[in-house]
Amino acid sequence: MHDMTNVGKSHQSDIAPVAKKRWYRGRLSVEVRREIGGWHQAAMLAGSVLMGLILSGCILVAAGVPATSLVQEMLYSTLLDATNLRTVLFQASPLILVGLSAAIAFQVRFWNLGIEGQMIFGGLGATFVSLFDLGPDYARLPLMALAAILAGTAWAVLPTLLKLKLNVNEIISTLLLNYVALDLLFHLVYGAWKDPKDGFPHSALYRASELLPVLASGISSALVIAAFATATLAYLTIWSRAGIYMRFIEANPSVARAVGIPVQRVILVVVLLSGALASLAGFVIVSGQEGRLTQSFFRGYGVSGVLIGFLARNNPIAAAAVAMLMGVLFVAGQNLQVFYSIPQAMVQLIQALIVICVASSDFLIRHRVSWVR
Amino acid sequence: MFAFVLSWLASIPTFSLPYALAALGLIISERAGVLNLAAEGLMLVGALSAVGSILSFGVDPSGSLVAAAGAAAIVSLIFAVLTILLRVNQVIVGLAMVFFCQGLTSLLGEQLNWSNRVVSALPRPYLGWLGELPIVGRILTEQDVLMFAAVPLVACVFHVLFKTNIGLRLRSVGENPEAADAMGVGVLSTRFGAVVVGSALLGLAGAYISVGSARIWVDDMTSGRGWIAIALVIFSRWRPWRALGGALLFGGIEALIPKLAASGVRLPQYLVMMTPYLATLVVMIWMAAAKRNSPPDEPGALGRPYVREERR
Repeated sequence: MHDMTNVGKSHQSDIAPVAKKRWYRGRLSVEVRREIGGWHQAAMLAGSVLMGLILSGCILVAAGVPATSLVQEMLYSTLLDATNLRTVLFQASPLILVGLSAAIAFQVRFWNLGIEGQMIFGGLGATFVSLFDLGPDYARLPLMALAAILAGTAWAVLPTLLKLKLNVNEIISTLLLNYVALDLLFHLVYGAWKDPKDGFPHSALYRASELLPVLASGISSALVIAAFATATLAYLTIWSRAGIYMRFIEANPSVARAVGIPVQRVILVVVLLSGALASLAGFVIVSGQEGRLTQSFFRGYGVSGVLIGFLARNNPIAAAAVAMLMGVLFVAGQNLQVFYSIPQAMVQLIQALIVICVASSDFLIRHRVSWVR
Repeated sequence: MFAFVLSWLASIPTFSLPYALAALGLIISERAGVLNLAAEGLMLVGALSAVGSILSFGVDPSGSLVAAAGAAAIVSLIFAVLTILLRVNQVIVGLAMVFFCQGLTSLLGEQLNWSNRVVSALPRPYLGWLGELPIVGRILTEQDVLMFAAVPLVACVFHVLFKTNIGLRLRSVGENPEAADAMGVGVLSTRFGAVVVGSALLGLAGAYISVGSARIWVDDMTSGRGWIAIALVIFSRWRPWRALGGALLFGGIEALIPKLAASGVRLPQYLVMMTPYLATLVVMIWMAAAKRNSPPDEPGALGRPYVREERR
């Protein structure tokens, strides 16, 4: 491996006479590929995901899960068991929404790492409507969704404007604002919004009219929202004029500006859309899963969103598919937690390992590595 | 009032030191052109391994600092291989590394039963007559060994970066790797070294949070200080002494929170806890507005992988 530092010297050694014989006779040659084949890319991606799963499996075995029950737990009981499959679908809808949120922001080269903060604000907006009894019963859910979207989108405005007007690094600003949003959430659930019934740090339970209904067995209306969002984004990014603008900005912002694309406006709208999707994910969790505002309803989704967006290469349809697989991982993680007391952090570790493997496979996709004698 | 100010001043170094060490480590790797967004994660690794080395291997607190620096340097090798050798996007690897380290430290802390167990403090050196000075003495006697190493460390990093040949090479690699390569400087090896040394300092910063001030390991205990340190580096314009000043400023703000709570002022606890993050944001906005029309002072090749065979 140490010969990697001599990358690119191949053209010299072709001309130069072989001065001395090295003991290993030959070296690693790395070339940049001009064309990338689709099958090659797909094979590399599949291989790297498999590699990530194998590494995660090793860690799980080291943490005390018997190797034999690993496959059972991960595949068999999550995918082939009806109850667990329903849980996966249940778990997938917020994951799809955060994945879309990250993917669309990445398309205009904006690192929206503020997904968790925007989710918190979504939850706060929805709970505000519930606590203050705004609107009649039949309009309650739409109102909560609207309040969630408004609050979460508003939270995304500041870092976007700072990036566009002053070029303040959005990675840092969105992450810092997550901590601010978290402290605001704690301030409310430990204070004014604490459940008066049991005194625990979460809001009072939502009423029946404030919960997302279950449509058919296992199909929550949250999944419908997620599917609708996926279809809309697919239309926007793949077929609409806005999609062409976004691809132009992703490829080269200064050329895009030169040919008259309203770069700043497109970025602003896209990032706000990303914030809206994240806050919708927050709403779906508080109203569809938790049934109240809790102090940790958003945990892990920001990470997952970013990683889904990256793995899906910013494509909305791929993001929905990857989110489904992440849902399997989430449910398997919960099972592992229950049966082997493996902490929930393990899911995050597995996600990170898969992403690291996929990211490094990019090297093998873009370069041709061979042993030259 | 006087007693309040005095105890506040005495507690500033404890809060500032992690920022100073982390910013110093980040300056080293960013001057070589590598944006080490994994800082938050590497600080967690340092924090956990310092506590772990005391609890499980009976290392004394000063020795645990070495363990922390070593552990963070080893974990940073993954980051270095991916970004420097394999040329993967530094932002995505940095973020993935943070998530990886958060998961790993949380898993190990629970599996090895290292969480929520108190460890002994770092030793405080005997100061002689210095400790008997009126106000300064009171502040000095409350500081531990690592604190007294901080200023020499900043001086050392400054000297190496700006007064030696090694520093010149390191900065040239971060400013213009093509030119540095043409002059015979090993771009990849220099960057590798900068990342590993910088990460050791990040581990040290994490160790100070766990062993130095909290004396305990809790999940995710760095709570965003790594990100604040990255902002601090921008604020310091990649200069060690300015980073020390910034660390004192941020540490001073953070040190106010427990002092205000202890003095009996009734403030909403969680809203007060927002201040370090908001202050960082304000500083970033102020910096951006102030130098809007001046040329950027970040290293020219920051965040850009070096590919020798790429055509330009």
